[in-house]
Amino acid sequence: MLFAQILVNGVMLGGLYGLMALGMALVWGVLNIVNLAHGAFVMLGGYCVYFLFTGLHLDPFAALPIAMVVMFVVGYLLQRYLLNLIIRSSHLNTLLITFGLDVVLTYLAQLAFSADFRAINPTYAGSNVTLLGVTIPLVRFGAFLTALVLAAALWVMLERTRLGHSIRATSQNLIAARLYGVDPAQLYAVTFGLGAALAGAAGGLYGMVSQVTPYIGATLTAKSFVITIMGGLDNPFGIILGGLFIGIAEALAAIYIGPTFTDAISFGLLVLILVARPARSLRGA
Amino acid sequence: MKFRLAAVLAVVFIVISHVALAQTKIVTLGASLQLTGNNANLGRYFRDGYQVAVDRINEKGGIAIGGVTYRLALRVLDNQSDLNLGVQQYVQLVTRDKVDFLLGPYSSNDTLNDSSVAEKYRIPMVQGGGAAALIFSRGYKYLFGTAPPAENYFGSTVEMMTKLDPRPRTIALLAADDAFDVSLAKGTRALAAHYGFDIVTDQQYSEHNTDFSATLALVKSKAPDAILWGGHETEALNFIRQAKSLDVNARDMFAITVGVPSADFRKALGKDAEYAFGMSPWLASPLLHDQWFGDGAQFARLFQQRFGYEADYHVASAVSDVETFAYALEAAGTLDKDAVRDAIVKSDFECVYAHVRFGETGQIDLPQIVIQVQDGKIVPIYTDHFLNKPRYPLPPWGKRG
Repeated sequence: MLFAQILVNGVMLGGLYGLMALGMALVWGVLNIVNLAHGAFVMLGGYCVYFLFTGLHLDPFAALPIAMVVMFVVGYLLQRYLLNLIIRSSHLNTLLITFGLDVVLTYLAQLAFSADFRAINPTYAGSNVTLLGVTIPLVRFGAFLTALVLAAALWVMLERTRLGHSIRATSQNLIAARLYGVDPAQLYAVTFGLGAALAGAAGGLYGMVSQVTPYIGATLTAKSFVITIMGGLDNPFGIILGGLFIGIAEALAAIYIGPTFTDAISFGLLVLILVARPARSLRGA
Repeated sequence: MKFRLAAVLAVVFIVISHVALAQTKIVTLGASLQLTGNNANLGRYFRDGYQVAVDRINEKGGIAIGGVTYRLALRVLDNQSDLNLGVQQYVQLVTRDKVDFLLGPYSSNDTLNDSSVAEKYRIPMVQGGGAAALIFSRGYKYLFGTAPPAENYFGSTVEMMTKLDPRPRTIALLAADDAFDVSLAKGTRALAAHYGFDIVTDQQYSEHNTDFSATLALVKSKAPDAILWGGHETEALNFIRQAKSLDVNARDMFAITVGVPSADFRKALGKDAEYAFGMSPWLASPLLHDQWFGDGAQFARLFQQRFGYEADYHVASAVSDVETFAYALEAAGTLDKDAVRDAIVKSDFECVYAHVRFGETGQIDLPQIVIQVQDGKIVPIYTDHFLNKPRYPLPPWGKRG
């Protein structure tokens, strides 16, 4: 029974991880930007849902779409008026500027919200159901379902809509896409906005299972990075699978090796995968 | 004419103010604190504690050293919760900023590193942020601690457990891997053995861990009577919220080293903080007399008014750190580092925090008061006898109000 519980815990955790990484993978795949401020977007999304919940008494799940819209606007504006200026420069420059952005957003968050812990704590935050002796936390299950729904929505958007076709075309062949009338500056901003919106949704859910402080971003960026590498950049469901893989590996490691080794396991797996299948994991990068 | 008069008055004013400034002697205390980064929430407790003490002592006329009045000044740097930066900043405080004495950072890990700077430059450091045994086991002569030993944080809790009905028999012990919690776990194992408790699971986790689901599943499978948990506040929040969502409960009680005394923590958890036991070497009490603040209760009111949050034992210990220097400087009658160090060794005074006396290793020893969250408030429960009735045993999550 312990093993079944650990497995379920890993799956639930992995769903949230997957959702966190979705936005990073989208931006990395299309814009070729490894967004080191991704965790800061998750953090801002968390604050957004927190204030909608505590200030307007909106249910956190109902607040998620609003947080996504807010974060979309933030992401859109940042890409349109800042990151587009350096999008053609070297990888190092984009890394530096997103790192700088992460630092600025983190410190602005501390100035605006203080370093206090903010937990999004609706009445059902600790609710669970028990099936065959295995306890399933409802919020984590909700986060898992949300991750699947958003991954599916992203997949449909990329595969079936004109916007998605433009995004994919731009990532595959920029010159050809321009010849067909795609405005890359606009498209990059929309894509970055979508990435930020996905991060915002993940932040709201993260605030329900953990808590939001200005400093949660760095760890979440690192985790998203590992999952993105594992899941690949070409399929949203690959990212969710990557999240599940890491979630289950960490849960098993915590029990059978020791809780101090969870990070070593996820980053160790990253190294192994990079060595074993570099071409596959970085395709599209 | 008017212009000339104004110019003359201005010159006179400048000269007088310069003379006055030259006559005001200043003792500067320096600290590198976690004002940003992961530990910013607790770092500010020390900054505010140091500041309120310095300001109060100055308001009351400063301190007399060898018949001359001195004012205190505080020089605080932000180490961004970065251990290495903290060490660099302490070197900077000593070598470039030329501060006279050192106050400590928050956390045992930081103190362990930063105190080596104090020892190297032979400048006394008084700190309330580091409680681990390792800090005081190195024979340092210039380091003093106002936080009681980490090993005994659960001392009064485990003693109380022997007097509870039903008496818990089994313990799940969970602690982080930082210096403080390693000391804590070691001490708690010895306490459990001494009082005849069986530790059914003993888990160490990474500092700053965010997911406890696997550990909680293991705890649930062991069905302990009591959970004793050590770590930082942010981890405690995660642990409790995730325990609820996974329906993990000790049969009788749950006690944590941090969080319970902090209003911020109780606010974040809301009703889920109820029944949690914690400990504190300090509670705001009118029985704690203080030369500058009146007493502990007056201090707590003043602090709340000024900073907008409740003081906890970290804040009170920070105040005692500053006061230790004030008393020692007056007793030494000089700014000489060794003379002040010798005076600190002989410290024996009462303040808002406690009666301050340092042991042979340079660390204070204070009893921990067991406290519990009841209706959103801290209630003192046990010292070496019961002070109030505990809410016990712990109801399952589903049956809490």
